[in-house]
Amino acid sequence: MEYAVETFSLTKIFSDWWGRAKVYAVEDLNLQVRYNEVFGLLGPNGSGKTTTLKLLLGLLYPTKGRALCLGGDGADPKISARIGFLPEESYLYMYLNARETLDFYGRLFGLSAKVRKMRIEALLDMVGLKAVANRPVGTFSKGMARRIGLAQALINDPDLLVLDEPTTGLDPIGTRQIKDLILKLAKRGKTVLLCSHLLADVEDVCDRIAILYGGKIQAEGQVRNLLQQTNRRQITTGAISDTAMEKIKQIAQNENADFEVTSPMDKLETFFIKTVATAQLQAQPTSGAVSTTKIGGFLVPETAAENILDKLVSAPVSPDTAWETPATEQVVPVESSEPKPDEELLSKLTEPVKPSQSEPVIRKVEAEPVESQEPQQEQIKKNILDQLTGRSTHQSEDTEQTDKSQAGDSSDA
Amino acid sequence: MRSIWAVATNTIKQVLRMKVALVFIILLMVLLPVMGVSMTGDGTLKGRLQTFVSYGLSLTSLLLCLLTIIISIYSLTSDIDQRQIYTVVTKPIRRFQILLGKLLGVILLDVALLVLFSAVIYAITIYTPEFSNAPEAERIQVANEFYTARAGLTPAEVDVSQEVNDKYTELEESGQLDQVFQGMSRGEIIAQLTNQRKLAKRAAGVGYQLLWEFDNVKPLDPNENLFIRFKYDVAVNPPDLQVYSRWLAGDYRQIKYGTKIETRIYSFDRKDPVRTFREIEVPADAVAKDGYLAVGFLNVHLNNTAVIFPLEDGLEVLYRADTFTGNFIRAVLLILFRLIFLACLGLLASTFLSFPVAILLCLVLFFTASLSGFVSESFNYLSANLSVLYSYTIKLIIRLLPQFDKFNPTKFLVPARLLSWYFLAECAAFMVCIKALLLLFVALLIFSYREIAKIII
Repeated sequence: MEYAVETFSLTKIFSDWWGRAKVYAVEDLNLQVRYNEVFGLLGPNGSGKTTTLKLLLGLLYPTKGRALCLGGDGADPKISARIGFLPEESYLYMYLNARETLDFYGRLFGLSAKVRKMRIEALLDMVGLKAVANRPVGTFSKGMARRIGLAQALINDPDLLVLDEPTTGLDPIGTRQIKDLILKLAKRGKTVLLCSHLLADVEDVCDRIAILYGGKIQAEGQVRNLLQQTNRRQITTGAISDTAMEKIKQIAQNENADFEVTSPMDKLETFFIKTVATAQLQAQPTSGAVSTTKIGGFLVPETAAENILDKLVSAPVSPDTAWETPATEQVVPVESSEPKPDEELLSKLTEPVKPSQSEPVIRKVEAEPVESQEPQQEQIKKNILDQLTGRSTHQSEDTEQTDKSQAGDSSDA
Repeated sequence: MRSIWAVATNTIKQVLRMKVALVFIILLMVLLPVMGVSMTGDGTLKGRLQTFVSYGLSLTSLLLCLLTIIISIYSLTSDIDQRQIYTVVTKPIRRFQILLGKLLGVILLDVALLVLFSAVIYAITIYTPEFSNAPEAERIQVANEFYTARAGLTPAEVDVSQEVNDKYTELEESGQLDQVFQGMSRGEIIAQLTNQRKLAKRAAGVGYQLLWEFDNVKPLDPNENLFIRFKYDVAVNPPDLQVYSRWLAGDYRQIKYGTKIETRIYSFDRKDPVRTFREIEVPADAVAKDGYLAVGFLNVHLNNTAVIFPLEDGLEVLYRADTFTGNFIRAVLLILFRLIFLACLGLLASTFLSFPVAILLCLVLFFTASLSGFVSESFNYLSANLSVLYSYTIKLIIRLLPQFDKFNPTKFLVPARLLSWYFLAECAAFMVCIKALLLLFVALLIFSYREIAKIII
C-alpha cells in the first residue's frame, strides 16, 4: 500500500482479427504514483496515456503485467468506490439533466438520498451549472459537459481521482478553475492521476510527471527538478527607481553574471480572465456556465471525518436559483453583494497564478520528508510554507466568500 | 440491489426520453380503439368480439415483442457505442448488476405497457355488447360461448396397436397383404390399419351405441350447464342431411353396478345436421361428485347410416372452468413470458454484437420462433434424407427456440377455451426458467469477461 497507483510491467497489445500482435499500446510500463500526489502522464497523441488509464480501471484487460489502484484491482467495487474517473470525453446520458446525471452516479455509489442531494447541490454550485441544472445535458456545450463530467467524478468524494484530459473543451477560465480545483483537492489529501498533452496545465498542477512515447516511459520525475535552470536566477520586484536598478546591476556584475531587465508580461490567461471578469461586472448576460471557485464542502480530508456531516449540512443549497430559466442566468449574487472595488477582485482572481507553482512542492514537505533536495531549497520552502499556512488559516473562510469569479462561455454554448 | 435499481430506472428514462417506445405506444393507442369500432367479423356479436380480441392481442403482442427486442438491444449497445458505459462500469457496480438492471428496466416497461394495452383491449371487449344493438339471443350466445373460459375434455385415446399387429400378421399369413395394400411399406400399412381401427372405435352402426367416460370434470359452478360438442360424419348421406340420435349424460357406474341413483342421468332426443359442430347443454349436476361423467350416444333406427365421430374433433365435453377475466389475465401473462424471453435474447445479442446486427439476429430468431411448429414440421418432413446431421444440429437449435405458436394466447381466447394455470406454468418453465435464464447466463458470462473499452490508441 505504498503507492496509490502502481503498475508492474504493464503491457497491452492490440491484435488484429487473426490474433497477430498489431500495436503495442502500452509496453512494459512501471508506474508509481504516491499517495497525496498530483501525477501527470504526458505524451503525444497515441502514446498510450488513455490506454494506461483504461487498464488501471478495468475497462481494458492487460495482455501482460498488473495494475494496482489503491492497493487493489481497479474494477473491484470496494476499490472503485474510492476512485473518481473522468474519461477523455464526458460521455453523458444526453436525455438526463445535470441534476439527474449526478443523481444517477450517486446512486451507483449507493449514497443515501440525503447525502446525494447535498453533494449534488454542492457540486453543481462548484462547477457553476446550478442555473442550468434542469436542462438535458445533451444540450450542453462541450465545456459544460466537461464540468458535469468532473462533478460526477467527485460525487463519491474519491481518494484517487483519475482525469483523462481534464481541460479539453474548457474555456481558459474553466481551465484555470479546474487547475485550482486539482490543487485544492491535492491539498485535502487526494491523489490525482491526470493525463494530458496540454503542457501548461501539467506544469501548473503536477508534482511529478512521466512522459510516455510509444507506450514506454521516456522521462519521469519532479516537475521542478526536470525544468529548473539551476544556473540562473530571476528577481521580480515592484516598480523601483533606476538608481536602485543600477545598484542591483552592479551587484550582479560583481558576481560575473549577465543581467537583463524587462517588464514582466501578463500571461494571456491572466489577461483573458481579467477581461471576462470586467464583462461580468457589467452584468452582461450569458447562457453558459457561471462558476465559482468554491469547492464542494464534502470534499474534505479523511482525517476530519467527523466534520463531514457538518460540512454537508452547511453545503450551500439554494433551490430557488436552481429553478431559474436561462434568460435570468446572469444572476450575480456574489458580485452584487460585494462592495469591494474592481481591482481587489481582479487581484484575487489573478492571485493564485504565482503560488500555485510552488504549492505542490510545499505539500510534498508536509506529506513526506524530502528525499533528494538540497538543504538550501528546503529552507526557502519552509518559509513559504509558513507564510502560506499562516495566511490560509485566517483566509480560508474569506477566500470562500470573495475568491469567486463568474465565467461566461457564451461562445461555447 | 440499489445499483441494479439505478440502472433500471435509467434504462426506463432512456427508452421513454429517447422516444424509442413512443411510436409503438401511439400506434397501439390509435389502432386498438379503431379496431374495436371497425371490426365486424362475420356480422354476429360473437364474431365481432372474437375478431377484435384475436387481432387486438396479436397486434399488441407483435408490437411489444418488436419493441422489447429493440429497446433491450438499444439500451446496452448505445451505452457501449456512445461510451457512457465507461463512467458506469468504473463505479462500484458489478457487470452482472448492469445487465440485470437493464433487464429489469426493460421488463418493468414491458409490464407497464402490457397492463396499459391489455386494459384497453379488455375494456373494449367487455363494453362492446353494451354499445351494440345485437338481439338478445346473440347476447346469450356471447355470454355462453365467449365471455367464459371453458375447459375441454376429449375422450382418451384407445390403444389399438395390439389389434393392428394381429390384423397385420393375419393378413400376412393369409397372403392377402399384397392384394389389399399394393406396393406399400410396412410402416404405411400399419399407419393405415391403425387409423382404420381408431375410426372403428368411434363409429356406430344403426342401433349401436357408443360410450365415452371422462374423469376430472370440474365445472366452476354446479348450477351451470355443461356442453357436449360434437360433429357427425356419416357413411351414407341421409336424404335431409340430418342424423337422429339419443344422447345420455350422467354417472353410468350407477347403472353398471346397480347402486343407488345419486346424480341424475339426462337423456336427449335430437336431430342434428351432419358435418357441423353442435352443442348439447347438460346441467352440471350430471357430473358425479368425484368428477366422473359418462356420455352415451345411440344411433337410433330412424337413421339408415353408420355415424362416425371424426378422430381429432368429433367429440368434446366443455364446461365453464373459469371466468373470461381470469383467462384474459393468463393470456396476457403468456405474452409477458414471451417478452421476458425476448428481453434476455436482446441483451445476449447486444453483449457481443453491434446494434443493427443484433436487431437482425433477434428478428430472425423471433420470426422463426413464431413459426416454430411449422419450421420443425417441415424439417421433420425433410429429415428422412438429412438424418444424423439434421438431428444433431438443426433439430437442437429448433428445440432451443421458444414455441411462440404453441403458447399463443389468442388460440384460447377466441374459442373461449380455458388457459389453465398448469399450461401457463409449463410456458413459464420452458420459456422463462430454462431458455430465457440460459440466454441470460450466457449474456452475463460474455459481458463480465469482455473488454468494455474500444480499441483506441
